[in-house]
Amino acid sequence: MSDPTPNTEGRYAGSRIRRVEDARLLTGHGTYVDDVVLPGMLHAAFVRSPFARAAVRDIETSAALEAPGIHFVLTAADLNPGVHEQWHTSIGPKMPETPRPPLAEGEVRFVGDPVALVVADSRYLAEDGAELVEVDYEPLPAVVDYTGAEQADTLVHESHGSNLITGFANMPASALDEVFDSAACVASETIHQQAVAPLPIEARGIVVDYARSTGELTIYASTQTPHEVRLFCSRLLGMPEHHIRVVARDTGGGFGQKVMVQRDEMVLMLAATKVGAPLKWIEDRRENLIAAGKSRHEHADVKMAFDADGAIQAAYIDFVQDCGAYPTPWPISAAASVGMLWPGPYRVPRAGFSVKTVYTNTVGRSAYRGPWQFESLSREVLLDIAARQMEIDPVELRRRNLLRRGELPYANANGMTYDNVSPLETFEQALEMLDYDAFRAEQAEARRNGRYLGVGMGNFVEPSTPGQGYYGTEAATIRIEPSGRVNVYIAGGSSGNSIETTVVQLAADALGAKLDDVHTTQGDTAITGFGAGTAGSRSASMTAGAVRETATALRTRIAAIAAHQLEAAPDDIELVDSRASVRGKPDAFVSFKELANIAYFNTRKLPPGVPAGLEASARYSAAVQTIWVNATHICTCEVDPTTGRVQILRYIVSEDCGPMINPSVVEGQIAGGTVQGIGGVLFEHLAYDDDGNPITTTLMDYLLPTSTEVPKIEFGHIETPSDGPGGYKGVGEGGAIGAPPAVVNSVADALSPFGVTLTRLPLTPARIATLLHEQRNR
Amino acid sequence: MGRNDGVGGAIPVELAINGKTRRATVEPRVTLADFLRDECRLTGTHLGCEHGVCGACTVLVDGAAVRACLVFAVQVDGTEVTTIEGIASPDGELSVVQAAFRDCHGLQCGFCTPGFIVSVTAFLRDCPNPSDEQIREALSGNLCRCTGYQGIFDAVRQAADTMQRGEA
Amino acid sequence: MKPAPFEYHAPETAAEAVDLLVEFGDDAKLLAGGQSLVPMLALRLAVFEHLVDIRRIDGLTGIERRDGSLWVGAGTTDAAIETSSETATAVPLLHRATPLVGHFQIRSRGTLGGSIAHADPAAEYPAVALTLDACIEVASPRGERTIAAGEFFDGIWSTTLEPDELVVGVTFPIWNGRSGFAIEEFAIRHGDFALAGATVAVEIDGDDRIERCAIGLLGLGSTPERATAAEAELSGRSVAEIEPEEVGRLAVAGLQSVPDDLHGSALYRKQVGAAMTARAWTTAVAEARLG
Repeated sequence: MSDPTPNTEGRYAGSRIRRVEDARLLTGHGTYVDDVVLPGMLHAAFVRSPFARAAVRDIETSAALEAPGIHFVLTAADLNPGVHEQWHTSIGPKMPETPRPPLAEGEVRFVGDPVALVVADSRYLAEDGAELVEVDYEPLPAVVDYTGAEQADTLVHESHGSNLITGFANMPASALDEVFDSAACVASETIHQQAVAPLPIEARGIVVDYARSTGELTIYASTQTPHEVRLFCSRLLGMPEHHIRVVARDTGGGFGQKVMVQRDEMVLMLAATKVGAPLKWIEDRRENLIAAGKSRHEHADVKMAFDADGAIQAAYIDFVQDCGAYPTPWPISAAASVGMLWPGPYRVPRAGFSVKTVYTNTVGRSAYRGPWQFESLSREVLLDIAARQMEIDPVELRRRNLLRRGELPYANANGMTYDNVSPLETFEQALEMLDYDAFRAEQAEARRNGRYLGVGMGNFVEPSTPGQGYYGTEAATIRIEPSGRVNVYIAGGSSGNSIETTVVQLAADALGAKLDDVHTTQGDTAITGFGAGTAGSRSASMTAGAVRETATALRTRIAAIAAHQLEAAPDDIELVDSRASVRGKPDAFVSFKELANIAYFNTRKLPPGVPAGLEASARYSAAVQTIWVNATHICTCEVDPTTGRVQILRYIVSEDCGPMINPSVVEGQIAGGTVQGIGGVLFEHLAYDDDGNPITTTLMDYLLPTSTEVPKIEFGHIETPSDGPGGYKGVGEGGAIGAPPAVVNSVADALSPFGVTLTRLPLTPARIATLLHEQRNR
Repeated sequence: MGRNDGVGGAIPVELAINGKTRRATVEPRVTLADFLRDECRLTGTHLGCEHGVCGACTVLVDGAAVRACLVFAVQVDGTEVTTIEGIASPDGELSVVQAAFRDCHGLQCGFCTPGFIVSVTAFLRDCPNPSDEQIREALSGNLCRCTGYQGIFDAVRQAADTMQRGEA
Repeated sequence: MKPAPFEYHAPETAAEAVDLLVEFGDDAKLLAGGQSLVPMLALRLAVFEHLVDIRRIDGLTGIERRDGSLWVGAGTTDAAIETSSETATAVPLLHRATPLVGHFQIRSRGTLGGSIAHADPAAEYPAVALTLDACIEVASPRGERTIAAGEFFDGIWSTTLEPDELVVGVTFPIWNGRSGFAIEEFAIRHGDFALAGATVAVEIDGDDRIERCAIGLLGLGSTPERATAAEAELSGRSVAEIEPEEVGRLAVAGLQSVPDDLHGSALYRKQVGAAMTARAWTTAVAEARLG
């Protein structure tokens, strides 16, 4: 299953290379933020609001300050004035952002809103102290139901003047009335997705070490974006960027929740400048569930018009998204993506959208793997509903409408142009892997025996690797050391993405080095050049570009030095296995070790014009604005109508992420996203009661899938290269986009004999059984 | 050690951790997980929830897999504790279970991994020839968010098969 | 999520433990496996100034036959019960319930006595104890007494134990004759607390008529429940003419305080409870008929 030797082409890319990260992680020697221990370090715990909305009249800290081991109790008055500027680089300073006070100032806006920071000798003592802080709250009416937020009298943020954060449409629904009114068939539904939490197994955390003597600030963070943490911090504190170092060695999952600095981390950065000691905050699971951010809480009225043959004529989505009180960041982009991507990988001649985002007095929205995935969920669910309505097989309906390679590039009706994707091809491959006809026969037989099996599918296209602005470049430094070994320095931000391994594979190939001779250093801003981190499924393509650009310069130099040594032409030099040899003359070679010796210590042997040393740095600019990826997910299940339990039988993914750097990494990313998608449909629900109190505050109530709920996932691969370096595409988010519709549709298909329509998630056993019960009584 | 007389404050404990005797005085409320991480500097045992659900903190106490966040350090006085740091051999050779996780892409971020490795080590010792279903059930007490359990299942299957063939 | 401070006691006899309960009253709590108590302490949902650990107490662990019953010490772990062939033979229902208790890491520490005393209405052991009319032996400053399971559970997480009483063991009657036992529960995920479940013990005579039966329900009230009305209705009838669905319907009829929350309404839980009862009945009767 894994082999350190190169594949038949003498390259490592494309092979299931064993991970370089594993040696430390398998033996308990990773360095996650809570493993960082600094001399004199103090520990922080937050006092958080128990109310969804309240005025903060007074904060009495004296009792807490007298408790054992308490050094400081800090409030908004102590910390908030320290803010110089706070904005996220990808958003910029001019976006009309949500106010972002580090600690709550005068008003708390959700249960969990940070009100005070207690600093103590240990987390145990800090929590004891936090219990003694007396906050005088005056509870106020709260806006909890986001569907009524726009009309509510109460404002979550007075300064904004409205609970509508943003709203725009490319056209009103009425603009398509003519098409819909005359269509042979119209399917229309309102589809609801519940709030879920990204829930990395390691919650958030940060250690901030400010040395007043040197003016240097060092941050250890659980983050996907170490350089952004540094930039954000430097602006926040008004401290020069080059005095700040951020180190992220191992991060235990992120899935989008650790892409942006949030208010809690801002508090720690500010507090660290006041406490005279390194300061650590490790978020516990309850905090993570109530304050780290929620995702996917949204609904839309969706409709599609079809002609008599089932060809899609038009599609419209009217979408509303709950962003809580403090969304991070300003939520325009993900919401707009829902609208623009709504037509999906289908031939849709006319389409329109309206998107709205609203504030509520609940935890703010954070990014989560494929933040716009509602477009695929609602589109694919609606397609199945339409298929049942028109009595067309859902496979046939899709087949008629899916885009084919020959139609690309294809500009969708909402202004996005797809290229280098293979929607029909992944669809057909997945169906073949399933043996669709055999399943339908099995389903029919099962129904005769009173058992309910179903099949569901989801197709999607996904924009990966954003190629402009903050995300648009990636740099690498490659140094061949005096010993001939290779070090690759690249920004990183891995939270499980295996980019240490894939960078090593790419660099070994790019230089013709042996895999074991290559090492990478990532996640340390003092050592690596700016990189946007792991977000937007960008890492495969961008690291490939950075490595290629940097290696190219180095290869030229290596070839020149070797050619000079071997008295050959540089064009005849081949680099393989950490050696430079003359093509066709395997005995004529010089090792990287020998070349390094020359470049560092015997520079008189260098050819004229070639500088000393064997190091290069380069910054790659994204070749294209978007790299499109696509996949098809197919799920089969059995539903027990009495208990409502859904048992997933088979799960198939046919994906096209172009050529794969490491198939194990690709499949692992898809599997992880898929199981998050399964969880989001069947198990997970970040719930609040009507007063805005979070109900699911522990893992006993917020249910993640375990191994017994999850099937073996079968993979098919299609390779349509992108126009980016290596033809690579992003793959990190796709699983979470394709899975929810496949699962929902399989359950709906299983239950189709009962005539129920499933448009509200999650599909917990209780909800399914209750829906069936109500249908029977109708 | 002798009976504690209930005086508040630190209580002496003596136990073996990964084969080495450790003596310390601990506050009663300090969990075994925190004792290992903070006092013993064995940070391989991770805290994912601190309420006994995720399994990231799993260690062996007298050979039994337990959630270290649900045990107080004072309760393991006189016992033998094995943590993730004690699973590989003293010269660093990975155990069969660890090697299988590496071979089968059974980890991504690695945060849940120590808990899985320790749990699986105990499970395969007690159930050396498990069916696929038994494996899935045994894994259900540990949560992973990265892998979707695919590589993890494959790793346990491989480790069990390896041990059955006697290729330890 | 760190617990509030407490003082720790590890007495070596039941008498010492009881003395501590008397001394500290409401400020003290017994610590057995900790699998239910410690999460509550970590979340600071419960605060006690004194924890009295039972782990060193003499005579609190063990599984042995005594006078035609099976005695299980309060401090006996679920794992020990799971691997006990004595339990498998003598009290199959207890043995079969055990793998359903959480996950194996929980069972390494969780104890029978702890589960009984914690009295979660959705837990397996309280339901088994109630179904089999087990006797709970307790020690106190007044000596020892026995509480019948039917008089032990009196509310959610509440028992008729006095504040100064320590559970020392549970005695399970052994059913002889042609008997069968089954537990069926529905949990959202493997190892979760059941949304609804049933524990069934049935004994039939030579003509396949119900000699006696006991049906316990978990997750369907503020305590485990005995479906006594159903038991009475089924007694004496021939198994062949009893439809399992009827047993299920009878068992859940008249249930009063069925939980209703995010994970399921009361009506849903009753329906699932009826289905679980039917399934458990079917299995138990099939086993009895082989006897």
